[in-house]
Amino acid sequence: MDHERYSRQLVLKGFGTIAQNKLINSSILVVGAGGLGCPILQYLTAAGIGTIGIVDDDTISLSNLHRQILFTTEDLDQPKVKVAAERLRLMNPEISIAEHPLRLDTNNIFSIIEHYDIVIDGTDNFDSRYLINDACALLQKPLIFAAVSGFEGQLAIFNVKDKQGIATNYRDIFPIPPAPGEIQNCAENGILGVLPGIIGTMAAAEAIKLIAGVGQPLINTLLHYNLLNQTQYTLNISVGNDYVLPKSKADFILMEDNQSHFIALAYEEIDLTQMLLLREQDLALLIDVREKHEFPILDQDVFLQVPMTEFNAFMQNNIEAESIILLCQHGIRSVAAAELLQEKYGDKKKIYSLKGGIAKWRNHFLKR
Amino acid sequence: MKLEIISFGKISEFIHHQQVEISNVMNTDQLKNYLETSFPELADMKYKLAVNQNLIQSNQSLKNEDVVAIMPPFSGG
Repeated sequence: MDHERYSRQLVLKGFGTIAQNKLINSSILVVGAGGLGCPILQYLTAAGIGTIGIVDDDTISLSNLHRQILFTTEDLDQPKVKVAAERLRLMNPEISIAEHPLRLDTNNIFSIIEHYDIVIDGTDNFDSRYLINDACALLQKPLIFAAVSGFEGQLAIFNVKDKQGIATNYRDIFPIPPAPGEIQNCAENGILGVLPGIIGTMAAAEAIKLIAGVGQPLINTLLHYNLLNQTQYTLNISVGNDYVLPKSKADFILMEDNQSHFIALAYEEIDLTQMLLLREQDLALLIDVREKHEFPILDQDVFLQVPMTEFNAFMQNNIEAESIILLCQHGIRSVAAAELLQEKYGDKKKIYSLKGGIAKWRNHFLKR
Repeated sequence: MKLEIISFGKISEFIHHQQVEISNVMNTDQLKNYLETSFPELADMKYKLAVNQNLIQSNQSLKNEDVVAIMPPFSGG
């Protein structure tokens, strides 16, 4: 260990060599190298966590840069994990950075998280969050949960026993995942860049406290933070009684798969090629469910514009087309619209949603 | 009974921080009914109540001047 690098932590009263050695001997997996993941990774790297793993399957896009501060304009379209790992190794060559350029699923999650002492969830969707929660709960792996919405953030530590020997997990707060589209994500709801910086930095601090054994980490406590008025609200998490967690890995795979099947299959998610084919063959009705201020503006002779805020009113009318293709910026609101149409028409119509939305296929939509 | 209601995230857009004086509400189940009737948008959302900073897992009686928080899940990252 390079003592000069960590000298300010080594002289820190209540921290010192003992705590620093605990950091060097620990390993943390950070899931999601986004708005939360970037500051988490930067501070853990700088602090001298011995091994840090990064999980992400995404590439860097321009709209990431206002909050994902490990990346530069020159990194566009590069894999986040690769760029993040390169930067972090430059920051601190003494530690080990492991790259996991993939999306966690029921088949790979255990083989990855088993290698780490602590998992930090900085993902951006409920599917991943419940998957990570359930797997960590099954292994009783300490999990730091961090999430943001608008100007607010949430932070908690799960699967770590308090003084009474009680450990909780995310399902003790929210036993059932919200339906797709029920809660908006950053792309739809917007996010002030500095917010995940604050919450991510707090998550890194909780990880350091937990490993070093200093202070009172947020065990069985949900912290809510409001950036607009700088207020914090904490609530004590107790054990819930209205959910069941898997008892074995086989049980886990069955349960998670059932959960995702339950959500899907009522409509179909398609890619651009399928959309263009369906449009020619089926005379499908194309509906853009974005709000009117959103760019790029599509050709209104081809795409009917029905913003989500007006969708319920639009549903009062009868739609004649047999096939309907819905699209939005990222393919999330269009799924919510697909569900609404499915509820009304059942299997009388074929309902499709463009997966990844206009952002994913922007080259096609911009060329016009 | 006098209660203080605080809410977070999307829920705070339609349920503002407020002191309410409600009759016929003695426990958290009745309060949920009252809130979901007064604010129908809440009925379609996932949320959890906390009373005086303690998460509510099953019906619990309320007392005068309790502070009730309504917390939605966040997923952004």
